[in-house]
Amino acid sequence: MSGDQTVICRCEEITLKEIKETVERFQCSSREVKLRTRAGMGPCGGRTCRCMIDRLVEQLGGPKISNDVSLSYRPPVRPVSFGILGGEPK
Amino acid sequence: MNSMRVTDHPILGTLENKKQVTITFDDVPYPAFEGDTIASALLASGVRTLRHQEDKGTPRGIYCNIGHCFECRVRVNGKNTVRACLTPVEGDMRIESGGEL
Repeated sequence: MSGDQTVICRCEEITLKEIKETVERFQCSSREVKLRTRAGMGPCGGRTCRCMIDRLVEQLGGPKISNDVSLSYRPPVRPVSFGILGGEPK
Repeated sequence: MNSMRVTDHPILGTLENKKQVTITFDDVPYPAFEGDTIASALLASGVRTLRHQEDKGTPRGIYCNIGHCFECRVRVNGKNTVRACLTPVEGDMRIESGGEL
């Protein structure tokens, strides 16, 4: 598999190519990459690709992670159905 | 059906006192033993593809096998997003795989 076809975000199947293009075109932070490409929004909660996206953004010249909020951990930690939120018995 | 089940294991021993049950996956019956998880029972029957990715339809199956990644999520008896790798097998469970939206 050629480099750019490597899948970075497994849940949403976002490839390295898509992330590279997004960072180069918009010079954006890792949060913006997440918002634009959905990488990191999958059911695994970014466990697989969070660090990769942060590193990629740093390497590709995006804003330094230190002054920008890297991809933070967002509730719910596990996918929760609206049924359970609505009080449906487990 | 080529069964990949390990029938006698140097440590776990043989399967003699395990109760056999039948589960259906996408309307196809598969044998399983009590104590299996859905993912391991289907794997033992040679079924690796548990679902297809919602967007691009690529086949997905067991990945982390410890309940973190949700790659093995299936629909069990009408309930969505059930992790096959953690859910123990019960008699005549109806399991359906999620597909492309």
